[in-house]
Amino acid sequence: MRRIYESDALDRDDEDPFRPGASDREKPRAARTLPVGTLSETLFPRRLRHRSISVDVSTPRDVYEAGETVPFVVTMKNAMPFPVSVPTVSPVLWTWAVDGHREASHVPEIPTQEPSALEFGRGEWKEFRRNWNGMFQVSESEWTRAGPGEYTIHAGVNVESASAKGVRDETTIEIR
Amino acid sequence: MAMLEVEDLNVRFYTENGVVKATNDLSYEVEAGERFGVVGESGAGKSVTSLAVMRLIDEPGVIESGEIRFKGRNLLELDDEEMRELRGNEIAMIFQDAETALNPAYTVGEQISEAVRHHLDMDEAAARERAIEMLESVGIPDPGQRYSNYPHEFSGGMQQRAVIAMALSCDPDLIIADEPTTALDVTIEAQILSLLKQIVEEYDTAIQLITHDLGVVAEFCDRVMVMYAGHPVEMAPVEDVYYDPQHPYTVGLMSSIPRIGDDRDRLQTIPGRMPDLIEMPPGCNFHPRCPYAEESCIRREPALVDVVTGEPADVSDHDAQTAACLEHTGGLSEPLDYEVWVQDGSRAGPDPVESIDGGTVDE
Repeated sequence: MRRIYESDALDRDDEDPFRPGASDREKPRAARTLPVGTLSETLFPRRLRHRSISVDVSTPRDVYEAGETVPFVVTMKNAMPFPVSVPTVSPVLWTWAVDGHREASHVPEIPTQEPSALEFGRGEWKEFRRNWNGMFQVSESEWTRAGPGEYTIHAGVNVESASAKGVRDETTIEIR
Repeated sequence: MAMLEVEDLNVRFYTENGVVKATNDLSYEVEAGERFGVVGESGAGKSVTSLAVMRLIDEPGVIESGEIRFKGRNLLELDDEEMRELRGNEIAMIFQDAETALNPAYTVGEQISEAVRHHLDMDEAAARERAIEMLESVGIPDPGQRYSNYPHEFSGGMQQRAVIAMALSCDPDLIIADEPTTALDVTIEAQILSLLKQIVEEYDTAIQLITHDLGVVAEFCDRVMVMYAGHPVEMAPVEDVYYDPQHPYTVGLMSSIPRIGDDRDRLQTIPGRMPDLIEMPPGCNFHPRCPYAEESCIRREPALVDVVTGEPADVSDHDAQTAACLEHTGGLSEPLDYEVWVQDGSRAGPDPVESIDGGTVDE
C-alpha cells in the first residue's frame, strides 16, 4: 500500500517555510512510535552514540566584506540504521560559536542545568541554518563589529568535550 | 501594590532548531479595575505573556526567570493545586480559539456550571441557574434551552460568547482576554466589550486585553503596552500612545490602521516582518524595519525609559509614558521626524507633517 508521504500529492519546497520540505519525505514522524531515547539509552553505549553522529559546518563563501552577514549551515547526520539519542548538558541541544564566543557573545550565558537529548531517527540528517551578523555582543546591551581578519565558526552538539567526542565541527572565514 | 505585577519575565522555548526567546525582561503592572491592553503583531509575545501569568506554558516552553505576583503572591512559587484554585476563580482567561477551548464531549452549560460548582461551592441547581444567567448575559438567545447544547451546536460567535460566559462565571478579579472578539461580528463585539466594561465597573475586575484591533484598544483600555519581538517597546495611558506615540513601531502600527474615506489605493504597512525569535537582530530589535535606524541602533539595545526624563522606566508609575528607543536617551543623531494628525479635533496634536511611511497617523 502506498503511503501519503510516498506519493507526490504534497507540494514540497525546501526554501518555502510554509510548505513541507523535501527532507520530510524520508522521516515520516507520525510513523515513529518507539521511544527513541529509552531504546537508545538501553541498547546503545553512550560513547558509540557520539561516534555515530557526524557534524559539519559550512559557509557559501570563504571571504566576506565587513558589515556583511555570514550565513552558515550546520548539518548533523546519524550514520546508524537505527535511532540514536545523544544526551545534552542542557535543553539547548546544539550550539554555535565564533572564535569560541557562544553565539558571538562575550556575555556569559546563564547556565541551564536541566539535561535533555538530541534525537535522531535511523539515518536521519538534520540541517540548521544560521546567520552571523558580523558583530560580537560585548555587554548586555552593546554590540561591536568584527574587524578585518580570520574568524572560526564552530558548531556542535551541546555535550561536554564535544570536539573530543567528534560531535563538533568548524570552518574559517575571512572578513575584509 | 498593584494587583498583578510582572517583573523581568523571561520565557524560552527550547526547540531543536534553537532557543525561542518569547519574552525578554518583560515588566508591567495591572491595577484592580484597570483595563490594560497588549498590542503587537503576531509573534510579538502577547499570548505567551498571558499564558505565563496563568502558568499554562507547555513544553518545550519554560518560564526561565522573573516573578509574577498576583495580590502579592508569587505565582511561580505556587504548587499545581494552589494554581488550579486560582485559575478560573481569581484569574480567568478568555481564549482566542473558542472551538478548542470548549470540550466537545460535554454540554456548554455543564462546562460553565462545573467551574461554578468547583470554585463557588454551589449545588447543582444553583450552578445551573448561574450558568444560564451567564449565558444570557453574553447574549445567547434562549439560554435555558441552549444550556444543554453541545459546542458543535453553537455557531463560532456563540462558542466565543460561551467561553466568555465561563470566564465571567466566578467573578474573577483579573480576566485575561486573548483576542476575545476576533471571531465575532462587530455588533456582537460591541455588546461583549460593553459587557466587559460593565463588569469592570461593577466588580472592580481588572482586564488584560490582548488584541490586534487598535480600535478596540482605543475604545476599551486605560493603558496599553505595545510589544515587539518579546520586548515592551512602549507603555503608556492609551491617549498618550494614540495621540503622541513615542516609538517608531507604534507609529507604524497606527499608520497601518485602515480608515473609512481614505482615498489611498493600498493600505500602509510596516516594511519587513517580525524577526526570527531564535535569531534576534543586534541592538534594537526593530532596527531592520525602522526608517529612522542609525548605526547606533545596530550597536545598542535601547532600554525602556520615561520619554520625558530619559530615566529607566518605573512600571509602577501608571501615568508615565515609556518607550524603548535611543531617541529618548539622546542616542540618535537625527530626530524622529514623524508627526501626528488628529482629525476629529477632540484633542489638539502637533502640526501635521509626514509620518513613518510618508502617510499620516490620525484618529
